[in-house]
Amino acid sequence: MIPLLILSPLILLAALGAVWKARPVHAALLLALALALNAVLYLVIGADFIGLVQFMVYVGAVAVLIVFSLLITRPGDEAEEISRRPRSLLPGLVCTVPVLAVLICSISRVTTPSAGEAPAFSVEQLGKALFTTHAPAVVTVGVLLTAVMIGAALFARDPGKKPQTPSDP
Amino acid sequence: MSLLATTPFLPMKLEFLPRLPQMLVEVIFHRLGAPEWLVSIAGFIVAASTVVGVFMGGFALLSLVERKTLARIQNRIGPNRAGWFGILQPVADGIKMLTKEDIVPAKAEWLLHLAAPILIVIPSILALGVIPYGREWTPVPLELGLLFFFSVGALTELSVFMAGWASGSKFPMLGAMRAISQMVSYELPLIISALGVVMVSGTLSLPVIVDKQAGFHLGFIPAWNLFTPWGLVAGLVFYIAAIAEANRCPFDLPEGESEIVAGHMTEYSGFKYALFFMGEYLGLFAISGLGITLFLGGWQAPLPGLGFVPSWIWFFAKLAVVIMSFLWIRGTFPRVRIDQLMRFAWLCLIPMALLTLPAAAIWHFAGRGLLGWVTTVPLLLIPWVIITVIYNRRLSPSTRIYRFADS
Amino acid sequence: MTPLSLLLTLSSLLFTLGLFAVLTRRNAILILVGIELMLNAANINFIAFWRYGPPDPELTGPMFVLFSIAIAAAEAAVGLAIILMVFRHTRSTDLNKLDSLHG
Repeated sequence: MIPLLILSPLILLAALGAVWKARPVHAALLLALALALNAVLYLVIGADFIGLVQFMVYVGAVAVLIVFSLLITRPGDEAEEISRRPRSLLPGLVCTVPVLAVLICSISRVTTPSAGEAPAFSVEQLGKALFTTHAPAVVTVGVLLTAVMIGAALFARDPGKKPQTPSDP
Repeated sequence: MSLLATTPFLPMKLEFLPRLPQMLVEVIFHRLGAPEWLVSIAGFIVAASTVVGVFMGGFALLSLVERKTLARIQNRIGPNRAGWFGILQPVADGIKMLTKEDIVPAKAEWLLHLAAPILIVIPSILALGVIPYGREWTPVPLELGLLFFFSVGALTELSVFMAGWASGSKFPMLGAMRAISQMVSYELPLIISALGVVMVSGTLSLPVIVDKQAGFHLGFIPAWNLFTPWGLVAGLVFYIAAIAEANRCPFDLPEGESEIVAGHMTEYSGFKYALFFMGEYLGLFAISGLGITLFLGGWQAPLPGLGFVPSWIWFFAKLAVVIMSFLWIRGTFPRVRIDQLMRFAWLCLIPMALLTLPAAAIWHFAGRGLLGWVTTVPLLLIPWVIITVIYNRRLSPSTRIYRFADS
Repeated sequence: MTPLSLLLTLSSLLFTLGLFAVLTRRNAILILVGIELMLNAANINFIAFWRYGPPDPELTGPMFVLFSIAIAAAEAAVGLAIILMVFRHTRSTDLNKLDSLHG
């Protein structure tokens, strides 16, 4: 419980920074920090496989992807300064505060018996379950990821030379 | 302790040499009547310090050995002024690095500029903790050891970006972009080639993977993963991807001196620069150690009769051979261009790495013997020939035509 | 406060923060940051219920989270590729500038 009480405010602070900071690279790096602390949270709870996968995929791939695209597009800070006006923030607050209220109210109604030890699972169990019970899902995700890779490569490709118009002098 | 006392033969007693500091500390703490958790924490700290200390010494030695080896390859002598045969050169380098002025550019973000070298060294040291160095001597024997290794490797990419961006100038940015694209591209063949080993060994735990490579075929060929058809291809792919992940020549485009000064390390001086080098060399040790664990049988002896030599000596001997081969390659190959690098990763290494997975499966189900070899060698050889032919036809430079000024 | 309710509160706050980012940010890439936060919050929920809820021999929690992480990575890749394509045409990632279909 104590590690959770230490980690949760840190994760929230990092996420707050990711959401609020005007400079995009700072926001992206704070997101990476929040995701990394989240991975530590998973490790502390006892879900070590998920924690390591979270670190490898979210921090190692998604965060790197985001900062790399920030390097390519080089956004300035002016746009985010403008979005600080209360008129721009009001719709956001109007939508998010009720969502938060609903979620917190439903949490207060959750009652489960307190669990003792972490339900440990071995990698063999996970592998067996993945490839026998959930094999269609794994194949679907594989096809999906291949399609994503090919699609992203096609999208981001250099468009090449445009054909010359014949009416140039 | 009792195991040490009952082992008869002196070379076999040397087996326990790496564990000696930890055993001594635990015995002392027990005699002082400390509680159990304190003993285990103290033992663990000593074991971790031993690993870090040994590899720091290795880093110092490697910096000298590299310069001497490169010098001999390039027909010169190398550092020989600081002490006998230059043996005190690492000390001189350390003093130089520590006493240099630490310059942080005015446009740089000092917090990220400071954090980046630290965050590059941390994954390398963490990764050194899960490698089995000897029989039953792994500092942290995790059940998910291999996954842990690759997860902490992912932190390196983000740190390189931080180093490049936080410096606030053009060369580091360019270097960081190149470094990230190179690392991301070559991480795929690295992980996929390790997957074949995981499939065949049935576990992610590195000590168990080494244990499964025990034994000898035909009496004298060790049952290492390198001496299987899929293992040969996967081992070569892993080797090349390891050179690229460690940003070493011929893949050292991110830090090529003749290209972009020092890439993402341009604006660093003094101890932070030394930390970058430490991170690079420790990462090299870690990934070579992983390659040895996965493909070369870890601490296993290469011939049946040599089991009396302590296991950690075999590990460090193999490590020395692999690192010397890295130095040899650095001295003899030219640097590749960024597009050649990317093309090589995506069009050659990744297909070959992917092919080792069905090859490993077929080899396993064909009984792991001669039938396994016969069925998997065509599966691996024919696509490789096709890829090589495509490379040679489309991508090799055509014959040059020289035009001289007087014609 | 039980660990379960602590984790559920954390995940709802993270979800709300991500939603706020999606609604108020102008840079397209920072909106993607918000989306990743939302997906992450849902993952925390699954793991919290797997760990502190009734025992489940079928490993539903980790399974779901594994697939969710994979799909989040895929969606980030496609999203960023689209943003880069749009950037090439309009030289800007500011979403308020993409109003050529405006009436």
